[in-house]
Amino acid sequence: MTESPPTRQGLLERPGTLLITRSAAAPDPHAPPPPAGAAEPPTSSATAGSNRDGEPDIYVAVLDDGSVLGFNGHVDLGTGIRTALAQIVAEELDVALDRVTMVLGDTERAPNQGATIASETIQITAEPLRRAAAQARWLLLGEAAARLGAPVEALAVEDGTVRVAEDPARRIDYAALLHGRALRAELDGAAPLKPVAAYRVVGQPVPRVDIPAKATGAFSYVHDLRVPGMLHGRVVRPPYLGHDGGDFVGRSLLSVDESSVAHIDGLVAVVTIGDFVGVVATREENADRAMRALRVEWKPFAPTVDLRDIDRALRLNPSTRRVLADTGDVDQALAGAAKSLRRSYAWPYQMHASIGPSCAVADHAPGRLVVWSGTQNPHVLRGDLARLLGMGEHEVEVVRLEAAGCYGRNCADDVSGDAALLSRAVGRPVRVQLTREQEHAWEPKGAAQLCDVAGGLDAEGGLAAYDFTVRYPSNLAPMLPLLLTGVVPPVPATVQMGDRTAIPPYDYKAMRVVCEDMPPLVRAAWLRGVSALPNSFAHECFIDELAVEAGADPVEFRLRHLPDRRAADLVRAVAERAKWEPRTGARLRGEGDILRGQGFAYALYVHSKFPGFGAAWAAWVAEVEVNRRTGEVTVGRITVGQDTGQMINPAGVRHQVHGNVVQATSRALKERVTFDERSLVSSREWGGYPIMTFREVPEIDVLLMPRQSEPPLGGGESASVPGAAAIANAIYDATGVRFRSPPFTADVILAGLDDAAPTPPAPPRRRRWLGALAGIGTALATAGAGLLGLHAAIPPAAPPGPDVYSATLIERGRLLAAAGDCAVCHTAPGGVAYAGGHALETPFGTVFGTNLTPDVETGIGAWSFAAFQRAMREGISRDGRNLYPAFPYTSFTRMTDADLLALYAYLMSRPAVRNVPPETKLAFPYGIRPLLAGWNLLFHRPGAQEPDPSRSAEWNRGNYLVNALGHCGACHTPRNALGAERRGAYLAGGEAEGWDAPAFGTLAAAPVPWTERSLFDYLRTGHSPEHGVAAGPMAPVVAELTQLPDADIRAMAHYLASLGGAPDPAAAALRAREVEAAAWRDLGGDASPGARLFQGACGACHHDGNGPAVLGAHVSMPLNTSIHAARPDNLIRVILDGIQNPARDALGHMPGFRDSLSDAQVAELAAFLRRRFAPDRPAWEGVEAVAARLR
Amino acid sequence: MTLRVNGTAHRLAVPRDTRLLYVLRNDLALNGPKFGCGLGECGACTVLLDGAAARSCSIPVGACEGREVTTLEGLTADGTAQGAPGPVQRAFIAEQAAQCGYCLNGMIMATEALLRRHPRPDEAQIRAALSHNLCRCGTHVEILRAARRAADERG
Repeated sequence: MTESPPTRQGLLERPGTLLITRSAAAPDPHAPPPPAGAAEPPTSSATAGSNRDGEPDIYVAVLDDGSVLGFNGHVDLGTGIRTALAQIVAEELDVALDRVTMVLGDTERAPNQGATIASETIQITAEPLRRAAAQARWLLLGEAAARLGAPVEALAVEDGTVRVAEDPARRIDYAALLHGRALRAELDGAAPLKPVAAYRVVGQPVPRVDIPAKATGAFSYVHDLRVPGMLHGRVVRPPYLGHDGGDFVGRSLLSVDESSVAHIDGLVAVVTIGDFVGVVATREENADRAMRALRVEWKPFAPTVDLRDIDRALRLNPSTRRVLADTGDVDQALAGAAKSLRRSYAWPYQMHASIGPSCAVADHAPGRLVVWSGTQNPHVLRGDLARLLGMGEHEVEVVRLEAAGCYGRNCADDVSGDAALLSRAVGRPVRVQLTREQEHAWEPKGAAQLCDVAGGLDAEGGLAAYDFTVRYPSNLAPMLPLLLTGVVPPVPATVQMGDRTAIPPYDYKAMRVVCEDMPPLVRAAWLRGVSALPNSFAHECFIDELAVEAGADPVEFRLRHLPDRRAADLVRAVAERAKWEPRTGARLRGEGDILRGQGFAYALYVHSKFPGFGAAWAAWVAEVEVNRRTGEVTVGRITVGQDTGQMINPAGVRHQVHGNVVQATSRALKERVTFDERSLVSSREWGGYPIMTFREVPEIDVLLMPRQSEPPLGGGESASVPGAAAIANAIYDATGVRFRSPPFTADVILAGLDDAAPTPPAPPRRRRWLGALAGIGTALATAGAGLLGLHAAIPPAAPPGPDVYSATLIERGRLLAAAGDCAVCHTAPGGVAYAGGHALETPFGTVFGTNLTPDVETGIGAWSFAAFQRAMREGISRDGRNLYPAFPYTSFTRMTDADLLALYAYLMSRPAVRNVPPETKLAFPYGIRPLLAGWNLLFHRPGAQEPDPSRSAEWNRGNYLVNALGHCGACHTPRNALGAERRGAYLAGGEAEGWDAPAFGTLAAAPVPWTERSLFDYLRTGHSPEHGVAAGPMAPVVAELTQLPDADIRAMAHYLASLGGAPDPAAAALRAREVEAAAWRDLGGDASPGARLFQGACGACHHDGNGPAVLGAHVSMPLNTSIHAARPDNLIRVILDGIQNPARDALGHMPGFRDSLSDAQVAELAAFLRRRFAPDRPAWEGVEAVAARLR
Repeated sequence: MTLRVNGTAHRLAVPRDTRLLYVLRNDLALNGPKFGCGLGECGACTVLLDGAAARSCSIPVGACEGREVTTLEGLTADGTAQGAPGPVQRAFIAEQAAQCGYCLNGMIMATEALLRRHPRPDEAQIRAALSHNLCRCGTHVEILRAARRAADERG
């Protein structure tokens, strides 16, 4: 794929070529009946005429180098049609498969055959291709006959070589026939097609042509394209996530503050048009940074409908009634029925959920736009791009490249428009890739759907009546940039697409089928199975209920009323293959908590403009297990049958059936788009929108009906259609309960089994300490008022020369600086070590670390040792000002003089750096430095620390490192109202830069006591398997400690463990194992939203050990201190911001979820973690408010 | 900084906090690892770091200095995308274990990492190792077969 195939123009001018073409005016004699109504998505009825210079479309090109090009307007969405179409061409042309290259979708190459939808590529759009290949062969045979002097009937062809059958030495190949010729013929459909019996390529399972390159990382996707001079773009989407209809769309932007991104390297442009906002930078990560940093103000968004209650929203949404079928008198038949049922089936919003977020590259110059896109519909996109940029359609070229599978309309077209706008703005090629969050939030959703059914049985158990009404709020989802820029007004169109497979397959005597056509409630378009899948869910659940009412076996009952013979054959074959067990009602089998059931469903996927036409037939038998205690549903085995007619590539069909089964099972069991209280899409990553994982994949047994002599039918979607109903019917067989609203998550099942309602969340509460802060200020002011004091300045001294202190002393000082973590507070992020500027957040305001390098003017270059010593012991600066106790001189005062000198020597040995950090300005009254004299009088005990002779040398060393140098208490001891460490609460838990600094010893919240070993692990490596990793302000502390020898770390661990009574390591390890084992039990059955978020967003790294071994520390959740803490703050900070700077790289980096999870989701996740992993601790309150505050 | 990728050392002038994935794709033109979520959830960006599976979307390139990065390309015979497929890649091709193939990089790299740790994994170990690599096309059956084939051929 590295070389582009020739364009239409190129081929028309190329000598040595046979082209089968169709000119603009010629109708397609083999197209299906064209859909009426402009609202319908463009389909294969579209014809040539939009080509740049009115060139004809080319379907097949045979070249004199022996190769063949086939052209199709439909594209490969990952289904393998590239291979199947090549098989068709190879077959009809009688060439080897590897001679054929298919060109799909490009507007300058392929014919316009409309959007790749409705699984109609093989069934419909391949037809002119097949005929063109046959015509090419026919023409070449005629040429060969003349050259070989033999009648056509006497010739045989093998791999492009024509022979006289009776005299094989007389031969000529296609390439030779074409040398120096330029043959061209209009597609006329007159050439004979090969009889199926003669097929050698079609009908054979062949390997796909694209997989080897994908398996080695060769260029395959639009994401991989790089063009010379290319820049990187990102877009900033409006806050009305997922909504594309309403007055606010395109009119909500208030302002963009470009100065907010002025600091970003390589920023090229900020582009604003209406509500379209984009950034362009030279490097992708900088475009990403600019996107996140750009300050944009938007008008508030007022929802008009509550999407948390979809049923109600669908019933209230204005609609137009359209009667699709009305036979017999349904009302009378229902009134007279021996038994009647009324049921409603509600389908949720679901996502295409492409694994790769959409991406495009655009290159704009005046009068010319080229866009490389993963679109489903290149020709439609060309029209949209022309409209967006006000260009002629002939000035726009769309080159179609592969993308992540889309299964319908995702954001591929949107991002193509984004790239075009940004390229036009900067005059260079721009690549734009959406974020995961943008793709999730903005992809046009597969619409929610509501089916109301009333039906009845006559006295003989026959199908008397069926009254069916469907509501389907979807349209074609106009390309988003068209709406955001105001080119297209944001008035939601209504399209007639809810009618797919709305007519049930069963023979009801009286039937009324109604479609309530309605505009979208949230951005929506087609998703695999479109409205047919939910409609079939209703039909197939309802017939199952009627079978029970009739006292009949569900399969036998269906067959009794199924007039379609191919359908009946399939139903029988699948039932037999699955060893269907006839029954007349739910069997409620199982043992213990596990109930087992088997369910059936069947559908013929009828699509396109009503009444539409059928694709392949499909039927499922699902076997499930339901855990009645946890509500968890496990699909163990699916037997699926499909009648596809002729299969071009049976391997491809089988693969599609597998894919449909997995995806449909995922949709039935797991998938539902969630909306927040403002009706905005809140599923913005895979935790919020879980899809099937490998652990959940059922055994799949595929039965492909042998129908090679029948016409080929679409197989891309059909096998999905009966899935959800088969699973629901199996759950009924297991439990006796009907579930009519997927997804069948554990909470839904439990609620159905228990008929229990969920409890509302507790109201949030304000934090206590906010009110207390005012009192602290008053106390400080009062205490300090009478104690004003001033200190003398110590005169400036010349910095000591380089030879004054020995290398040994300096080295000792280096280690002391590490033990004291001096660099942590005296180094700005990304700045020079010790040059100051780190912002230390305290309850009293932000304190900035000062410059400790020996620069005379801005650092401590003019400080004599005496001045340094006074500062360290008394908290007084060289100039006589009091230093704030954020500088822990209350600890450093305990250092020995010898150590102070070594530290001084080390700092003075470092290069001088001129740097003036921001000045610390605390709010009144904390900013009045002289008050600190009084503070010192109250709280400061100057003087070096004396060793305790009753303790070991190791304990005393630990004590010194912890208390004099390490100043652990500065963070880990609670402070009183005046900011001093509270007496009698040593290491009882404090605060550091807004993080909780956990308690030590017996007061620790950890479920397992801190042993000497675990303390050593933690301080040495930043990770204790029994407690967690160092995060927040502790990570740089551990990073500094790496400079200390093991002996010092061991001494610290020894001392700290003694505070907790030196717990027994063996007992602690046993306890840790017990806690772990208990915590993970039955996690799969936890149905809460928090549990699902955890599994999807966190589970790759945080699991019970039985999961992926992803690089980094395996951080145990049940033992994690932050989950056992009194406050959720540390946990929430880590969720929001991740761990970007771990103590050591080997611990791994955690991404932040700030832009991916809402406050409510963070609260759900934190609540789950607390409930599951700290079950003996009280639930946190007001977690959502904490998340909002920390954000 | 210097970054070792697929056995070759590269001198790079990039900010150390740039995600490894961006450097591999944009600076070294390696298309194997894919951007999927940027959150370490889906596995499309998986590479090996000193032989262990790692999610390159979430790791700053600076943290990879002094370590050996292996990408999908690094599994081929000559360490490039054009090289003959390596054993795990061959198993995935033989089982046709891709539909759109966007997740394929992660599946192959996770399988490679698994087999380096457990040359003879059982079915549960394979499923666990792949449990947080997402595939939307539903190629799970073929991917599991491919992983099994790779294990069998190695064993």
